Amino acid sequence: MARYLWGRIAQAVLVLWIAFTVTFVLLQALPGDAVLIKFQGGDLNLTPAQLEEIRLSYGADESLLVQYLHAIGNVLTGDLGYSVQAGVPVTTLLAANLPSTLVLASLGFAVAVVLAVGIALVSSLTPFAWLRNVLHSVPSLFISIPTFWLGITLIQIFSFRLKLVPVIGGSTLESLLLPVLTLAVPISAPLAQVLVRSIDEVSVQPFVSVVRAKGASPSWVLWRHVARNATLPALTIAGVLLGELIAGAVVTETVFGRTGIGRITQDAVNNQDVAVLQAVVLLSALGYVVVNLIVDLLYPVLDPRITVRSGDRRANRRAGARVATGASA
Amino acid sequence: MSRFRLLPLAAAAAAASLLLAGCSSAAGNEGTSATAPTDPVTGGTLTYLEQQAHTNLYPPAGGFYPNGGILNQITDKLTYQNPETLEIEPWIAESWEVSEDATQYTFTIRDGVTFSDGTPLDAAAVAKNFDTYGLGNPALKQPVSEVINNYDHSEVLDEHTVRFFFTKPSPGFLQGTATIGSGLVSLSTLAKNFDELGNATAIIGSGPFMVESEELGKQVDLAAREDYAWAPESSENQGRPYLDGITVIVTGEDSVRIGSLLSGQGDLIRQVQAYDEEQVTSQGYEVYARATNGVNDSISFHPENPLVSDLRVRQALLHATDSAEVVETLFSKNYPQATSVLASTAAGYIDLSDELEFDPQLSERLLDEAGWTVGADGVREKDGQKLELSIYESLPQPQNRQVLQLVAQQWAKVGVTLSVKAGDAGSKTTDELDPAKSPLVVSIVGRADPDVIKSQFYPTNRNSLLQAGGSAPTATFRDDTLNGLLEAETSEPNREARLAATQEVQKHLIAQAYNIPLFEEPQVYAGAPYVEGLGFEAVGRPSFYTTWLAEH
Repeated sequence: MARYLWGRIAQAVLVLWIAFTVTFVLLQALPGDAVLIKFQGGDLNLTPAQLEEIRLSYGADESLLVQYLHAIGNVLTGDLGYSVQAGVPVTTLLAANLPSTLVLASLGFAVAVVLAVGIALVSSLTPFAWLRNVLHSVPSLFISIPTFWLGITLIQIFSFRLKLVPVIGGSTLESLLLPVLTLAVPISAPLAQVLVRSIDEVSVQPFVSVVRAKGASPSWVLWRHVARNATLPALTIAGVLLGELIAGAVVTETVFGRTGIGRITQDAVNNQDVAVLQAVVLLSALGYVVVNLIVDLLYPVLDPRITVRSGDRRANRRAGARVATGASA
Repeated sequence: MSRFRLLPLAAAAAAASLLLAGCSSAAGNEGTSATAPTDPVTGGTLTYLEQQAHTNLYPPAGGFYPNGGILNQITDKLTYQNPETLEIEPWIAESWEVSEDATQYTFTIRDGVTFSDGTPLDAAAVAKNFDTYGLGNPALKQPVSEVINNYDHSEVLDEHTVRFFFTKPSPGFLQGTATIGSGLVSLSTLAKNFDELGNATAIIGSGPFMVESEELGKQVDLAAREDYAWAPESSENQGRPYLDGITVIVTGEDSVRIGSLLSGQGDLIRQVQAYDEEQVTSQGYEVYARATNGVNDSISFHPENPLVSDLRVRQALLHATDSAEVVETLFSKNYPQATSVLASTAAGYIDLSDELEFDPQLSERLLDEAGWTVGADGVREKDGQKLELSIYESLPQPQNRQVLQLVAQQWAKVGVTLSVKAGDAGSKTTDELDPAKSPLVVSIVGRADPDVIKSQFYPTNRNSLLQAGGSAPTATFRDDTLNGLLEAETSEPNREARLAATQEVQKHLIAQAYNIPLFEEPQVYAGAPYVEGLGFEAVGRPSFYTTWLAEH
């Protein structure tokens, strides 16, 4: 187990390093730079010589390789650099914005899970075929709704027409309701889709017929036997959905005027604030690595046939797949 | 036109229906206040919804409206430009003397004015402010202000008297002291690095409000100064501001801002699109459109670009542009069609509408003469090169993308292709500094002084034409006649002669077809009916000193 964990951590460090390096190269290749964008034009309109002075003060006069090594060294010591646009250290910016995004994203994810599980359970338990058909088409509807449009529509209906929740100057809870819902809907779609499919697949496997033959009720079968097996693919998807969460947060925070990582990412992209973008990329990569590690560690908890001892896991999952296809054939 | 005469009726009807619905007494108050003005009410907090977050509150950076909207409440200026008459009146300076040649200005500073941290606003503080704005402070990265030209140094004569010296006549300086870029801040503020001034709480001014707290990128809370007693004489309020405070909240989405206002969650919003105006007025809310009194919303040429270096091509495009259609199609009566480079309300304006006529036949003739013949695909070409131009849209300008696309359609009729680009800020900024990559640029700047035209076109200022010697490192083009005229305007001490020089600049710009004026860009706000006494400075930034909230 310990060896497995160390291996995964080494992998994670490699992923982080590659993400950092690729971003560094790509950002350097863009035309213009943050100093130019901030100080050129408008009422300040500095001369090229003045711009050069400011660049020097940010250490931009060294060769790219030296800058890169500096950046790596700084990251290792916890110094994420300085935001040209905001005029504060990136760590300050992150500290101010990370909490609100974490709250938004985790609540959004939790609501998405509730939505997805609800759709899957109701559609598999319902005796009405029409309801099942309706629920089966919900995920494709949800995933095709643009987050941006959904946010504005929710505001129009619940805040401006019905006046149930204010968008301006509400309490913490009030200001979270609509954004969380906006974020949750598109995230719930792939989860629900996978859950519904895998519940259907597991339900036709021979062991389920055995359980049923022993006289178990439909809900007992679903809870005790099917759900547990059907969660695995959904869990895999959940790990991947982190990216959707981050993208959704950018849009949601913009529409609702919330502060957060999404907002600073958008600003940083607009203004080519390289240090901030590097930090955001590192943070997202770190999030991915951690979430996927957790997901992998959860597999054996849910399915005792899977062990984390390296290669066996894949073999086990393939074996499971063979059983499934055999059953449906 | 009749549509607009009907609007008050519609507003009255809407107000009446609100009253019938039992929706508070605001509509009733509004009705009576028209005949007998009620006394201002003290108290209450105004919720002001801004489209963008402020970027930096170093006063010379106040030209950006989100910055100016905050700076205008927390800083006072040496002089006051009456927004109605555009005359300069005393404010922090009780009186002043200007030398005959406009190279020396002596100001007598009002007694008893303090910054919100308690330190005195005396001659020494004023001197330090203008030394910084006039010369910049490279050690702290604080740049020079664009409203101050030819600044040399200051001399504090006594506690209440300061004198400024200029290397050349600088008649624009007096008005410059009244602009948003010349807000007076405490010595402690000026001792901070430019970067730190993005933080609103770092800005200590002497204005009627002070910054209480800030949530970066989201909200700024301003609180009234109870001891404020140094308003300009012409102000109806001479004591503390009527409001207890102002909450500035960043709400980027147009529809969310409008909806919040109409559902009672906000009291005043900035940036109302022309197509939303009717939605606001039809519900009894107020639209405030303020002229910005400067260079019009326009398209400038980079004459060094080989495609537009020929005067006939530029003239052809000028006459192929139908600015009347732009205004009629996209805007409202608050966006007057341009009749010169400067707005008709600007100082030194001259009506050049005869030179700006929409005349596609003339345009086609000029292009033919210049050797651009219509090719098989309808696009003109010369020596195998097509007349294909491009321009970046300018996000802060109202409906700029639609404006440029409409212009592109108009130009297509005479065989010229214009592609409207929406690049990232980096590409846009870099390309717009290189005449080879950008034949055209969107230009506009507001300031109620003839110097505004120099700000827009002089190489070391905004350098709209990309002349050599300024921001564009590769540029070689120069129009010394134009620069001579701009220098003459900016250093002519005689007011009449100065206004005449400003008119000469406009004539030259149009004769050379360097600029295609489109419309006079306003700043448009919308407010709830109970928001009373809203003031605006000379280029349309709100002033909340005399604002109060009626019962609602």
